[in-house]
This record gives sequence, structure tokens and C-alpha cells, in this order.
Amino acid sequence: MDILYFLVPLSVVLVFFIIGGIWWAIYSGQFDDIEKEGERILKDG
Amino acid sequence: MPLLMSSLPAFDEPNPAATLAGADRAHQQQQVLALSLLDDEQEWSAFSRPVAHQLGCWESNVLIEGMHCAACALTIEDVLKSVPGVRNVEVSAGSHRAKVVWASQAVVPSGWMQAVHEAGYRALPANDAFARERRLVESRKALWRMMVAGLCMMQVMMYAYPAYVAQPGDLTPEMEQLLRWASWVLTLPVIFFSCGPFFSSAWRDVLHRRISMDLPVALGMLITFLVSSAGTFDPAGIFGHEVFFDSLTMFVFFLLAGRWLELRLRDKTAGALETLMNRLPDSVLRLGPDGQFERVPVRRLQVGDVIRVLPGEAFPADGVLLQGHTSVDEALLTGESRPLTRQVGDEVISGSHNLSAMVQMRVDRVGEHTRFAQIVKLMESASTSKPTLARLADTIAKPFLIGVLIAAGLACAYWWRTDPERALMVAVSVLIVTCPCALSLATPAAMLSAAGALARRGVLVRRLDAFESLAGVDTVMFDKTGTLTRDAMVVNHIQVRQGFTQQQALALAAVLAQHSLHPLSRALVAAAGLAEVTERWQLDQVVEHAGQGVQAVVNFSGGAKPAFVLRLGSASFCDVAQLNPGALQVHMSDDAGWLASFEFQEDLRPDAKATVAALQRAGISVYLLSGDASDAAQRVAEQVGITQAQGNCSPQDKLDFLRESQVRGHKVAVIGDGLNDGPVLAGAHASFAFGQAVPLAQAQADFLVSGGRLTNVVDALLLSRRTLTIVRQNLSWAAIYNAICVPLAVFGLLPAWLAGLGMASSSLLVVLNALRLSKNEQFEWKA
Repeated sequence: MDILYFLVPLSVVLVFFIIGGIWWAIYSGQFDDIEKEGERILKDG
Repeated sequence: MPLLMSSLPAFDEPNPAATLAGADRAHQQQQVLALSLLDDEQEWSAFSRPVAHQLGCWESNVLIEGMHCAACALTIEDVLKSVPGVRNVEVSAGSHRAKVVWASQAVVPSGWMQAVHEAGYRALPANDAFARERRLVESRKALWRMMVAGLCMMQVMMYAYPAYVAQPGDLTPEMEQLLRWASWVLTLPVIFFSCGPFFSSAWRDVLHRRISMDLPVALGMLITFLVSSAGTFDPAGIFGHEVFFDSLTMFVFFLLAGRWLELRLRDKTAGALETLMNRLPDSVLRLGPDGQFERVPVRRLQVGDVIRVLPGEAFPADGVLLQGHTSVDEALLTGESRPLTRQVGDEVISGSHNLSAMVQMRVDRVGEHTRFAQIVKLMESASTSKPTLARLADTIAKPFLIGVLIAAGLACAYWWRTDPERALMVAVSVLIVTCPCALSLATPAAMLSAAGALARRGVLVRRLDAFESLAGVDTVMFDKTGTLTRDAMVVNHIQVRQGFTQQQALALAAVLAQHSLHPLSRALVAAAGLAEVTERWQLDQVVEHAGQGVQAVVNFSGGAKPAFVLRLGSASFCDVAQLNPGALQVHMSDDAGWLASFEFQEDLRPDAKATVAALQRAGISVYLLSGDASDAAQRVAEQVGITQAQGNCSPQDKLDFLRESQVRGHKVAVIGDGLNDGPVLAGAHASFAFGQAVPLAQAQADFLVSGGRLTNVVDALLLSRRTLTIVRQNLSWAAIYNAICVPLAVFGLLPAWLAGLGMASSSLLVVLNALRLSKNEQFEWKA
């Protein structure tokens, strides 16, 4: 089970990567208007 | 809110730019510049208006940022009132707006705005591009904090799980230590980033020597974190070896999720209002003295100016058409969704849209005298004077915190004499076990869950506080049009001249009525069904006399019969005697005189009667206040079983009625749909707007019923009463939990790990109890 000593720290690093991904998603406007994207298919133009 | 804090000195320094560091610099300079720009009188009118009867006094609308609760509103009010020259202040905690009346001889806008800055908040003039951008930043940040907390929470749970399930000996000490370190690392962003708002708000409380719920919450978070950190790095130390990272992150996530949802609700409302204020164009083509049209700012318009309005533009002022023929969209102002035709001599109102052609108009009323501005103003003042509901949790925060601190102190002192090593641990247990998770989650969790349940039934909740007010409501006021009835009318009785059948009369009337957009004409066309009869008749010279009727020359195809003049409209227009006064009638006449009479009836919503009955059964007195004619209002009231009805009410009448009932101690819910309801909706304890309602009414309503089902009102009312019951259960659970656990902890019977478990499970219990509200069960009122 020694591999855990590598995997647990790796998971911490991974979480930070995912947090970075979320940061990108939020600040590039992905969540700014959630309803609008769903309704857009119903609208012309 | 570290950004806010660090930015404060900028406004005190004579040379702000010199004290600022790198990244914020440009932004700050802009801010300072923006503030001093506001001192130019030219700019005041963008967010202020002069107060009538008080020379040199201005009334300004500002947005307040950094406000969390009703207590903040009071602080800001006190701060502003202490500025010399500020005459009156009203801060609305709900809409985060403030209305400031100030004297221009004594103070400039940047003067009192700076006072707000110094109190730790930020005031922005309420013109919106600015506010909108700010809101976006705020909501992104709230989401970002919540996401970080959520993600870290999930992962910390993973690391905590082995320790919960492991049998003694399963987990090597090294492995346990590794998992703790991993948890600690992932708790860091939660504590130092996600918890930021709680800490800064708590710090502000300390600075201003007041207590809100954020203070005990922040204290609990900090202590839990410090104790857990000590447990991680110094397991043999005085704080023991227990860690609570999982409970901590979970609690933070719950709180932030609640706050984010609240923020979203609030943003939607603010957005709708701002869109509305923005409807007036910035500039307009005005006829100059040289006969040329030039573009001038709308602010420069004066009564008597001649302006040109292009298709697609909004009318910037009230006035009369001088040239051209167009259709306008007044949906936003009157709720009339169809385009209306406007010809030379007709009045147009500001805020409505010119749809089809270029027109010239003479300006009759500008700025705050327009109907649009008056309604917006009425609504704003109604919204800021709304009674602010003190949050129950906030009111008990102070005694709670003091009690907990005393208990922890006493416990520590008691154990110190006998067992100093244990004393600190006991004090920590007390603080952890009382960490007011359940207390601070009790109310928002229940309300959010109820809001979700209503959303699935087609009712959107705009303001969570509304549940509290709706539960106490004992009076419901209906606005007739569009709430109790559908928009359209139905033909319920036809009388005809000898020799005609009802079908023939209806068909003939429908042919003529097709040329009119009047609601009654549309009802006739609808009643006749599809008029295949059209082919037999041809209409020439169709003329509509506004408010009276339609007239045309009828030719039979092939010239089978001689042509005749057909009139459809009021009794006087058709020159016939009114048959049944009081009823809503349309008459038809030809060259030989009276031909037919059609009687109309409002088309009641099918569930109107059941709804009124259910409300009355729930012990609520139901009123009908309508802008329509008295007899129409009475008729509808009788049909649905309302005894107290009144017609011909202006928006002001309705508002007066509302205030009067409120003064008499009644709690009033208003159900409306049109623009005229805006101010009334805003002033009511709780308000409903129906789906087709104009945005203005929607923006001010607490509940938005989108399916057009009246019974939803009853659902919402009953659910809000249940919500309040659940809130009370949650709060009493939190009280009982504390009453049991605090003594146990004080006497050292509750180890820290059990305290952490208790804290987590009490939060969970409160959330689960709240979730009962979202169960989609049938309400009992239908019995």
C-alpha cells in the first residue's frame, strides 16, 4: 500500500488543477447566465 | 472583502494614486475620478432629482455594496445621517439601494459617498452600466467561493472517510497523519478564500461594536480550524489529536451555497428593474431653429420641442404625434401586449416603443413629469420604504454569542483549578459544539427548499424573506384584470332583429370587427369562429372611431343586394337605445336601424372561484380593487364570491388602501399583473405577479406565477406557513441541541471528536428537515 503515499498527495494536486479549471470556467463567463443558454435554442437569430 | 478594506485609504489620501499598488491602481484611479466627476451638477440628474418645494435639495439613488443584512442598512443610515447637509436617508436592505436627500449648498455627492466608504461599504450612483458590471463581478466571486468550498469539501470527506470506518490497527499512524495533512492543505483555500466574507463581515462587526450572525460563525470557523491544525501538527499537544476538517468544509459549503442562491434571486430582481430604467434612449433627433434635425441628449429636451422618433426607438418623452402614422408597443407600461396604432394627434407615452414608421412628435412632458418616470418613482419609493424584516437568527446572535463565551470561559476556569491540561480542551469543545451551524442554516435552508418546491409548480420566488411575510398574511387584495379573469371577453348573449338569426348577426359583426383591435371586437371574432362567410360580403370604406365603434359600407359579392352602411359599436354610435344598462354591450345597426346587440362577460379563470373560497377558508379576507369600471368590478366579485370590491381605483388609491390596512395592523398580500400594480406590489407584505405581467410588476413581486394558475397562490400561502413551521422546528432543534451539549461539554463529558460529529450532524439534520418542504405532496385545501 505504499503507493498511497504517492497517490494521496497526487490527489491533492489534482484537486488544485480542477479548481484552476473551475476558475477558468467562471471567469470566462460560463456561469454568468445559465438560463439564457437553455432558452437560446427556442429563439430565432 | 480584503479588496474593499485595502481600497479604503485611497479616498482619504490627498494623492490617492501615490499610495496604491500595482494591479488595483488603474481601477482605483477610475473610482476616484468617477467620484469627483459626480460633483459636477451636470451629472447629478443621472442618478438624482431635485426635491420639489425644497430649494437646493436633491434626492439621489445609490447602490450599496458589501451589505449583508438589515443591521448593515441601519449602520449606513446612521453614517449618512451624521454627514452635515444630508437631510434624509432610507436604505433598503432588500434591494441594496439607498435614497439620500441632501442639500447642494452644504455637501456634494462625493462627500456623503465617502462617508459610506469609511463605514466599510461602497456607494455607487444607481445608473446601471456600472452597477451591472459590479453585480457580475460580485456574483462570479460568490460562485467561485462556493465552488472552491464545494470541491474541497468533497475531497476532504474522502480523506476523512478512512478514519471513520477503520478498525483499530487498520490504519497505520503514518497513513493517518498523511490523510490529515492532505485534509489540512485542502482546507486552506476554504478558510483563507471561501470564508473571506464571513471573516471580513465579522471584523467589521468588531470594529463597529455590533454583533450579527457572522461573528459567532466566523469565530466558530476560526477556532475549529486552529484546533484541527494543532491536532494535525502537534497531536500530543494540549488541543488533542482530533481534526474537524470535514465538518468545517461542509459547513462552509452549505452556508456559501445558501448565500449564492440568495444572491442570484436578488440579482434577477435588480436586473429587471434596471432594464426598465434603461428604456429611455440617450439621445434623440430634435428640430433645430434652422429647420434641421440634430441629435441632442434626451436630458436637454424641453416642453414644446419637436422631435423625430425612428422605428425601433423608444419615445423619450410624453407628447402628441404631429406627423406620421405608426404602431407602438406599450406592453411595458400598460400590459397591453398588442401593438397599438397611433395617428396624428394621438398621445404617445415615454418608454413605449415606436414599431413601424418614423414619426414626428411634439414634446409635452419631459423627465420626471412623464408617466413613465412617475410610475418608476412611485415604485422605487415603495420598494425602499418596505419594512425590513429583522432576521430571527440575527436578533439572537448577540445573547447567543455572549452566552457561549461565558460558558466556555467558566468551564475553562472551573477545570483550570483541578486539571489545567484539560481546561483548554473543554473550552474548545464548548466552542466547537456550539458553532452555530444549525442556527445559521435553519432559516435559509428551509426557505430555499420551499422556493424549490414552488418553482416546480410554476411559482418563482424572488425574495426569500417573502415566505416569512406571506405566512403572516391575513388579507389578500386582487387586481381584477388578468388575475381573476383572462384578458379576453366572451359573448354570452345575443339579441337580434326579426328576420335575422343569431349566427348571421354574429358572422356579420365578426366581419366588421376584424378591422378593429378593440378587445370586444376580438371577442366577437373569436365567438364567430373562422368567418368563412367573408366571401359573401365585401367591406369598403372601413372607418374606426376610437372609443365608439367601426363603420363600413357592405357590398354583396356579385351585387345581389344593394350596398348598405353597417355600424358596430356603442349605443350612441349606432343610434340605438341602451337595452340593459350595466351590462357590457356592443350594438350593430344598418340603414334600417337596430340590427343586433351582443352582451359580453369577463372570462373568469376556471379556478378563480375555488381559489377565493380556499383563501377564505384559510381565514383570509379577500378584497378586489380594480382600475376597471365599478360595475364590472362588482360583477366579477359577485361571480367569484368576493364581498368587498371596489372599481375605478387609481394606483394611488390602491396604495392608500394598502397603507390604511397596514396601519390597522393587517398583513396584506397583493396579486397583480399590470404596470399600475408595481408600486402596490412593492408596498405589500407579500406580492404575486402573474406570468403575462409586465416586467415592472414582475420586478417588484415576491412571487411570480408563471402558469397562470390562481390556485398556485393558495399553494404558496400554505407552503409558506409550513415553511415557517419548519424554520421554527429547526431553530428549536438548534436550541435544544445547544442546551444538551453545552452542559455536557462544560463538564468535560463531551470529547472534541464527538463535538465535531454533533456539529456536522446537527447541520445535516436541519438541512434534511428543510428538504421535507420540497416533497411534492398534494395540498389539502382542495377538500
